[in-house]
Formats: sequence, structure tokens, C-alpha cells
Amino acid sequence: MFDNIWFQILVFPGLVFLLAWTFFVFYFARKTLAYIHKRVGPHFNGPAGSLQTIYDIFKLLTKENITPKTADPYLFNIIPLVTPIVAALPVILIPWTPLMHNGVVLDTNYGVLGLVVLIGVEPFLLFLTGFGSNNKYSFLGGMRVLAQMLSMETPFFLAALSPAILFGTMNLHDIMYSNTWLTTLILLPGAIIFIIAMLGILEQPPFNIPEAEQEIVYGFYTEYSGTNYVLLKFAEFTEILVVSAAAVTLFFGGYRGLFFDSFFCLFLKIVLIAIVMVAIRASNPRLRLDQMLKFAWSWLVPLAVLNIVWIIFAKLYILGA
Amino acid sequence: MEAIKNVLGKYENEYIEDYKPTWVKAKFKNPKDLLNIVKDLKEVGVETCSTVSPTDFIDENKIEVNYFLEDLINKKNVWLKFDLPRELEECKIDSITPLMPSADWHELEAYSTYGVKFEGHPNLRYFLISADYFGKFPFRKDFDWKKHEESLIQNIDDITSEWLDEYEENKKTLPKDGSETVLHWGPTHPASGPIRLVVGVDGENIKWVDPDIGYVWRALEHLVERKDFVGAITSVERICFMDNPNPMICYSEAVEEIAGKEITRFAKLMRVLLGEIGRCASHLISMGGFFGNAGLHTFVMWTMDIREYFLDVLEDYSGARIATASVEPGGVRYPMPDNWLETLEKAIKKYEDTVPDMLDIFINNPLMKTRAINTAKISREDVITNYMAGPIARASGVKLDVRIDEPYAGYDEIEMDYVTCENGDVYDRLYIFFKELNQSMDIMKQAIAKIKEGIEKGEMNPKKDHLVRMPRRMPAGEAVTRVEWARGEMLMHLVTGEKATSPYRLKLKAPSVNHTMVLDSLLRGKTLSDIPLIYGSMHICQGDLDR
Repeated sequence: MFDNIWFQILVFPGLVFLLAWTFFVFYFARKTLAYIHKRVGPHFNGPAGSLQTIYDIFKLLTKENITPKTADPYLFNIIPLVTPIVAALPVILIPWTPLMHNGVVLDTNYGVLGLVVLIGVEPFLLFLTGFGSNNKYSFLGGMRVLAQMLSMETPFFLAALSPAILFGTMNLHDIMYSNTWLTTLILLPGAIIFIIAMLGILEQPPFNIPEAEQEIVYGFYTEYSGTNYVLLKFAEFTEILVVSAAAVTLFFGGYRGLFFDSFFCLFLKIVLIAIVMVAIRASNPRLRLDQMLKFAWSWLVPLAVLNIVWIIFAKLYILGA
Repeated sequence: MEAIKNVLGKYENEYIEDYKPTWVKAKFKNPKDLLNIVKDLKEVGVETCSTVSPTDFIDENKIEVNYFLEDLINKKNVWLKFDLPRELEECKIDSITPLMPSADWHELEAYSTYGVKFEGHPNLRYFLISADYFGKFPFRKDFDWKKHEESLIQNIDDITSEWLDEYEENKKTLPKDGSETVLHWGPTHPASGPIRLVVGVDGENIKWVDPDIGYVWRALEHLVERKDFVGAITSVERICFMDNPNPMICYSEAVEEIAGKEITRFAKLMRVLLGEIGRCASHLISMGGFFGNAGLHTFVMWTMDIREYFLDVLEDYSGARIATASVEPGGVRYPMPDNWLETLEKAIKKYEDTVPDMLDIFINNPLMKTRAINTAKISREDVITNYMAGPIARASGVKLDVRIDEPYAGYDEIEMDYVTCENGDVYDRLYIFFKELNQSMDIMKQAIAKIKEGIEKGEMNPKKDHLVRMPRRMPAGEAVTRVEWARGEMLMHLVTGEKATSPYRLKLKAPSVNHTMVLDSLLRGKTLSDIPLIYGSMHICQGDLDR
């Protein structure tokens, strides 16, 4: 069943799975944040308010799609269709469950490369949404996305490279199974850099500069409403899933568990990363754009390069290859 | 004091007299002397203008302009009065803005509402009022509000056309290519509140900022004149919802001064308690809102949680949480409920239990410090020239606190000292609020102890002592009172006529005006990301900005 191509596209790890994840992570982030805020969060619809996000999304789907007069109508409406597809593409490269052949949909020896490239394209599409809106706030948001993408993707790529160098392969399945307790420790600095850069790529606090609502209203989202907005949000949550799954696969042994290998081990690890993200979000204010640039280029990039040196050193002298 | 009197004595005057321990009140015959008087006063240390308040005496066919000037360092204040003719063409006086920049917006406000022309003002324009009031000077006694409201459609057209004109002008003046543009930060912006900052930007860099205020202008100063002396508190308290009791204390003190009544010691201590509760409620929102502006909403939820406990105290007392109407001329409005002090102690304990977490997670947050430390410094000189009041001044190290300088209510019994910070940057302007909260808790504990002691000894009766009877009709007179409001000095100038049942004129001076005035100089050369942070650090409340 899991090797059937239509099942893969439509159910797992395709459409249904991604939708379910979107509903889940929306609800989960709301509820966790509410707990830290000393609020209740979604409460009335469904058990513990769990249906609230579904209602919200369907409400948005029924709303009118407004295209501003000054916006470029083609760019403005096409990008929200392209973005979720591009965001969902890396799903085929990530090993999800041992039930599939080698755990992945597309078994390739260039998994890491495909992953970073497909993740790296996404912010450029978000810039295009801001560009197509032809609104001052959206455009500023779009420019901020570009600046952030350029500075955060360098350490992101370098950190993603470290397991590939250590294990000498770009096959994600192989990387996952080569991981031991020792290599996890060796890869820990790389993992930390990866997660920090990941916050920048996903525009999560404290790097939520492109959509800083107190500064530029809602950044590139400003003009979007209804279905287009849902599609963009769907892309955002899919990207969160993909990037956290990539982090788990590259550094923390993917779907391998202590006692058994299963999708649920992967899911648990992703949720742990999500909790870390929500905790950072709940306790830190936003950085300024120039401070983010300074942090990225004078700390994160040099550290990422040093990390590569450390990985090569560890490969030669600790693992003794 | 003598030096000031000597200076004032040089000019032709009707009287020069002492008023309260810290004020000199003087009336001059010739308005042409104003500039020279102010120049001489500056030499003896009076460098700040608190506010300008015209009063329209329609029966005597004159407008009396009052200047309230302050020496912030030596705590000496001067009250100058000039008579001007009412006719629009001759209602002119020299502008003191070139000498005292703190008078800038106060003069504009006096011009827009009374038509007093300030000659030599660098940019005299209509201000605060909406476009349909331009040239009509609504606070003059002969302005017909009912007639104005009849032409509703025309008024709306006036307001809209002002907007469209601005849009057209921007189209003409802005370059067609390049990265310069005008952004509107407000009035319906996630972090602004009802104020509009017109921001000229070049990419992300700010070229200039022009605050446009008046979106919540309710003409409170006029509304007060329509009510009786007790009813007026409902207008006064609506200056700002965040710190509710303090404006009422200020107004009530002014009425009591004119009536010549002394209130009971119990009522005075109750005013201290209510005032400090209001201050805590306001400071908690301000601190939380600061982080909210920086993109972190957790803290505002936490502070709201603590604030609820203080609002419970207000609710127990008056039945209302926000607009309490709890202080009125003659004392405080209600007798003290049973167990009220225990509810207050519970709120204080709730705050003190949360302090360690607040310090660890938020006030000492490294990312916030990166953004806030050494950003938008306000020096001691700036404080004096532009009259930054209250916490903003104390954050820059200026010892300024009306509760100590000119004690009102029961503050003369309380032991307290100035709380100050050194740097005057954004971080200090946040940290000072935390320090002041701690001070407030201390003041409240002292007041509670005093009330408990008084009740035990039988000196106070919490069920009867709260109010003394005020005369039904006031004598003619005028008074100036000041209180330390949550955001700084609040000054009220009350004028009553003979056998009056309602105030003839009440000038409300609130500190946010000056705090908004300096936004341009603080923000120039910064980036767009700094707007919410610096704006949040000034703790501006649009309610008292517009009134």
C-alpha cells in the first residue's frame, strides 16, 4: 500500500498527511502558546477546541479573494498556487516510515542536495508575492525576505553538509542509519547551527522580520485574503514540517527509535523541535534587520565553517576513516 | 523665588503674588513684554514651559492667556497671565517656542481651539482638531456646537478632502523613481493605537516623522463645562483608561482648593491608594505593551494577568474596573468596603510572586537588551528643553516627581524617594517602570498600614469619613493643581465663575503631548524596525494626547 504511487501522492506522505499536519501544528502552536501566555486558547469547538483550526481554515476558504487594483494579477494569484507545491516537493526525499522501500518515495543518492535546494527556493517565491502585491508594506516585506534568505541560507547549507561529509554519502536513508550516539554528539554543533538558521529560513521569532506586524503590517502577506492566504499559510506549515523533518533526519536519526523504528518516532522528534520553536517564540522579541544580518554573517557563517573543519577533524581522528 | 520675583517686578504688572509653596503668579498689562520676561526667566533657571492655557472671558470681551513655566531642577514654577482682545485679528501674542521648544504643540493647540495667534511660531498650523473645525475655534464660548453638527455631510467632506489633498501633494513632491516614499504608521496599525505617524522613508531608513494626532479628540475640556462639578469627573477620568483615578484626584484637588475645603485624612490616604492602584494598572500595561511592540506577546499577557488583580480591587471599591468614577470633590466617592485592604494585599502579593520570573525571562532578556540598550537616548538637557515628564525624565536621571516636589493627597505622610535610571535609553525607559512598580507597592503598603492603624485607634471611620460636604455653588476663583500621573505630570487649570454650578474652564495638560513631540528627533536616521520599539518606550497614550 505504502509503495503505491497514488497512495503516496494523495494520502501519505502527500496531500492528506500534509493537510492533517497543517491542522495539527496550527492547533498545537495555538494551544502551547496559550498555555505559556496563561490563556486558554481554542476551547469551544470540538474536544479541547481541536476543531477550531479546521473551522478557521474553511472560513478562510469561503471568503472572497481580493486582488488589489494596483497588483499584478497574474503574479499575485499564481504564486500562492506554486508556493505550496514547491514547499511540498521535498517530502518525497525524506524517509518517513520503514513501511516504504528504503523509507522514501524517491530513493536517490543526492537526497541532501535536493533537500537544501528545494528548501532554498521557497523564500524567493515569498519575495515574489511581495513584489506582485505592489504595496509598500508587501514590497518591504519581500525585500526583507530576500536579505534574510541570503544571509541565513549560507549557514543552513553548510550545516546540512556536515552529516554528508561525516558519513561520506548524500543518501538520506544511509545517513539516518549511519547515525550512532557518538556521531550524534559529533554532529551536535552542526545541529544547533542548523536549527538557528532554520528559524531564520522559516521566519520564526526572533527572526520573524519579514512579517513584522508592528513594523510593516504583515509583510508580504498584507494584501492576501481568502483562499490565497490559506494556500500561503499551508505552504508555510508544510515548510515547517519539511525543515524540521530534515533536521531530525540529518542529525537525530530520523524515524529510528530506541526500541522500534516507526513513523511515530520521527513525529515525536518533530514535535520536540516544534516545542523548542514555540518556547523561543514565547520568550524572545524580534531582532532588527541589521542585527540579524550582523549575527548571521559575523557569527553564524564563521561558526558553520568552523563546524565543517571540526567534522573533517572528527572524521579523520575520532572515527578514524 | 526672590530672583524670579525680581525679574517679574521689572515689567508693568497688575500683581505678583505667591501661590502655593512652589508657584509665583503674576499678571502683566502689556502682552508685548512676554518675550523679554521669558528671556529673563530663562536666565534665572526657568527653562521649561508646561503648557499654555487661554481662557475665554466673553463678558469682559477678553481672552486671558496663562503660561505655566517650570524650573525642573530647583522646583520653582511661574504662572504668567496676559489679557488679549477677543477679536480674531487682534488676538495675537509672541510665540515662546523659539525660546522654549516645549511650548510648541501647546501653542498650536491654543491656536486651533481659541484662535490665539502666536507670532513667530516656526510652523503655526491647525492641529489636533479635525478639518471641519478649521478656522472655527471650537473652545471659544460663542462657538455653536449644535449648529456645527447640523452640517454633518459638509463636515465629512471637509475631512475627506483634507486627506485627498495630502495624497495629491505626496504624488507631486515624491520622486517618481528611487526608493523614497511615505509610509503611514497608523491609525489602524497593529502597534500604533489611534495616532498616525507619517513616516518619510528611503528604503528602510527614516528621513522624517510627522505625527498626526487628533483621532480620539473628544473635546473633553469643553465637555467638562457642560457638566456640574461632580459630573465633570466622568469627563476627566476619560483622559486615558489606563490610569483612571489620578486625573480625578487632580481635578478634585482643584475644586477643593477653590471651595476652600479640607478633606479628611482617611480620604487623603484612600486617594493615595487609589492613585497607586491606577499607576500599577497603567505601568503593567505599559511594560507589557513595550514588549508587544517588539513582537513578543507573552509578557503583555502576564502583566494583564497581574493587572486583573488590581482591577478586582477597583471593582470591589466602585463597581467598575476601568472607568471607576471613584474620586470626587470632597474626598473619595464610596466608603471603604469590608475586607477591601485584604483584596489589595492579595494583588500586591500576586505581583511580588511574579517578579522573579519577570526579571529572568523578560526584563533581562538578552535579545531585548541588544535592541534597546543605547538606542534613542534622551539626555538631561533634552528632558529640560522638551519637558519629558515623569518616568521618561526619571529614566534620564532627572529627579522629577510631583508626589515629592509638591505633595498632594496623603503623599506628605509617605516616605519615598526619587527612583531614577542613568542612561535614558530605551532599556532604561522600560526598566524605570519596573522600579516604579516596586516603589508603588511600597507606598501602598505604607498607606495600608496607616489606614489600619487609624481605624484601630478610632481616628478614622471607613464608613463615614470618605466624603466631606462640598458647597452646592462655588465661589469665583481659579486653581492650578498637579499630580504625578502614571506617565508624568498632569496639570489642571480650573476657572470658576461667581456662584457657579459648573466649571467655567478646565485646562487639562497631559504629558503624552511632549512625548509625541520629540518622536521626530528620536526617530530620524533610524530604521523602520525602530519605530515600534522607540514609540513603545515613550509609553504614549492617545487618550491623553488628544483629550
